[in-house]
Amino acid sequence: MPEKAKFKCLRCGYLYEDKYTPGVPQERACPKCGSNSVRRLEEKSTSPGNR
Amino acid sequence: MMDVGRHPRIKLFAYSEVEHISGFIGNFNVKIRKKARYVIEDECTACGDCTKDCPVVVPDEYQQGFSSRKAIYIPFPQAVPSAYILNMEECLGNNPIACGKCLEACEKKCIDYDMKDEIIEVEVGTIIVATGLDVYDPTELDEFGYRSYENVITSMEFERLICAGGPTAGHFVRPTDRKVPRTVAFIQCVGSRSGKRGNRYCSNICCMNTIKDTLLLYDHYPETKCKVFYIDIRAFGKGFEQMFMRSKEVGVEYIRGIPGEVVEDPVTRNLILTVENTTTGRVEQHEVEMVVLSVGMEQRSDFDRLQKMLTLSTTGDGFVLESHPKLKPVDSPTRGVFYAGCVESPKGITESVVQSSAAAARASIILNAGRVKIEALTARLDTSLCNYCGMCARVCPYHAITPPDRKLGIYPEIIEAACAGCGTCAAECPNDAITMRHFTDAQIMAQIDAILEEKPLEKIVAFACNWCSYAGGDNAGTSRLQYPPSIRLIRTMCSGRVDEKFVLYAFQKGAPLVLVSGCHFADCHYINAVTWTQRRVERLWNKLERLGIRPERLQLEWISAAEGQKFAKVMRELEELRKKVTPEEVQQTREILRREAEKERARKAKRVEALRSA
Repeated sequence: MPEKAKFKCLRCGYLYEDKYTPGVPQERACPKCGSNSVRRLEEKSTSPGNR
Repeated sequence: MMDVGRHPRIKLFAYSEVEHISGFIGNFNVKIRKKARYVIEDECTACGDCTKDCPVVVPDEYQQGFSSRKAIYIPFPQAVPSAYILNMEECLGNNPIACGKCLEACEKKCIDYDMKDEIIEVEVGTIIVATGLDVYDPTELDEFGYRSYENVITSMEFERLICAGGPTAGHFVRPTDRKVPRTVAFIQCVGSRSGKRGNRYCSNICCMNTIKDTLLLYDHYPETKCKVFYIDIRAFGKGFEQMFMRSKEVGVEYIRGIPGEVVEDPVTRNLILTVENTTTGRVEQHEVEMVVLSVGMEQRSDFDRLQKMLTLSTTGDGFVLESHPKLKPVDSPTRGVFYAGCVESPKGITESVVQSSAAAARASIILNAGRVKIEALTARLDTSLCNYCGMCARVCPYHAITPPDRKLGIYPEIIEAACAGCGTCAAECPNDAITMRHFTDAQIMAQIDAILEEKPLEKIVAFACNWCSYAGGDNAGTSRLQYPPSIRLIRTMCSGRVDEKFVLYAFQKGAPLVLVSGCHFADCHYINAVTWTQRRVERLWNKLERLGIRPERLQLEWISAAEGQKFAKVMRELEELRKKVTPEEVQQTREILRREAEKERARKAKRVEALRSA
């Protein structure tokens, strides 16, 4: 099932949200600059160990 | 088709489906499910006695539902073999027999209610995929009234109505009153060339099909007037323009513009089309007695099964991807598999015949030779380094590596005849047990060394795949597009070959920026190897961040061979990024990676020692 995830363009630094299906590779392009260097930002765990 | 059926060296499996395909070029094993037709094929004389007595009446698919057939039937008059089929889902029942009238009527007693599906295995050297097409279903386009008005039909339905073997014996009548229409409108590009609904691509044959239909109508009914609503007429083949001009000469009216609305007059059942005529710039209304929607073509809806069996690539529009669009237009990326007809792209009869002949010739070259020549770009496995993890078999897009079995001590086996040389297995192997011929780790690292030997801070190491990104660079060059000289390309057959350690090695040697570039997902020449590139680069971004290196210094880009402009633009953008990397940052990276490499060397030595002692 697609879920929402945060992405960051490693070319222009633009941050945005988009659909993401775990385990299904998808070609991504930054909506601002068109670069394919788009990294999905993993949600930081809030467990005490990461604080 | 009759010739094919009678040919001594062609075995025709009618009413059958491919269940499974395994093997590789020269050694394919195909499992075919020959469905039970409940009529003994060799005994049936197609006399038709059975069908006369069958009480079940259902719409005839071949006649587009304009007439009916029985539960026991011949799919179409020219079907080969000329034998009846009993559709058991429509039959009143055979267990227990509820009707049995066909059996009673059959003088030769060739109806067998107990017939079962049969699985047949055949060994073949090559495979030609010629699965045809689906016709676009226009029911989603409400504005043309296909679902609402009986007098709106598709071009396929038109073909049946005008055909002498059709439900009306070739008398073209409109469905509501069975009278010959005096005005017929043809609407072009239904389901084609649309970014919103239907398909983006041109279906290739619809313009000429409509021109042919209008000429047929004028030939059969000179008093019938035709109006064609179009975006532009694409009459590009031999003799096509003359045919187009002839249709104009006989009086076909061509109106540039696609109707936005079709409504029916409830009294006359005539159809009123509202259209913006883009030649005059006016909104017009046209009343016609019948509308024909010129529907486009699509890939078969059930094609994905065969695609998986043969590991075929498809483009974004669902049609299969050729091994090379210009030099190998009928070859698939999987060796020994060829394409013919609309499975590759929408095309007419002439093109399909040309392509089929080419595919047959390509296949016969292999079969006659009895041996296969492959490029020396395949993978090799060093079993002494293999730990049976099976990663190579999992990532191979061609299933060219058999999975290992740790318990039985069976190593993965690389079937070189099936290996296309993408190098994904070599890049993913955690123990470096796989070597790519001509693209070995040592050769690629030597290129990195050479690039960064002098003034590394002024260089960008760019890995480019052979088919798309590298060709995109060529395109930029031949187009005289300028890009910064700091870019240094390293060619790999596929971006899937770019090992994690190449990127880290480049950083360790002082590269301020590294680019990994490959084909767009839909253009990947190694089926889906590019998806492994993306996964690996994502892993690397995480690793770099963990090590304290900015992930921005590793860039990823998909550039096709036609995108010379994009190539130049990306390289200019990378140059700007490179300028922001300071010598101190590069030095710090080198130090981090030197320590990391030492740790990795120690870990690897331990692993190798453990493997060798095991």
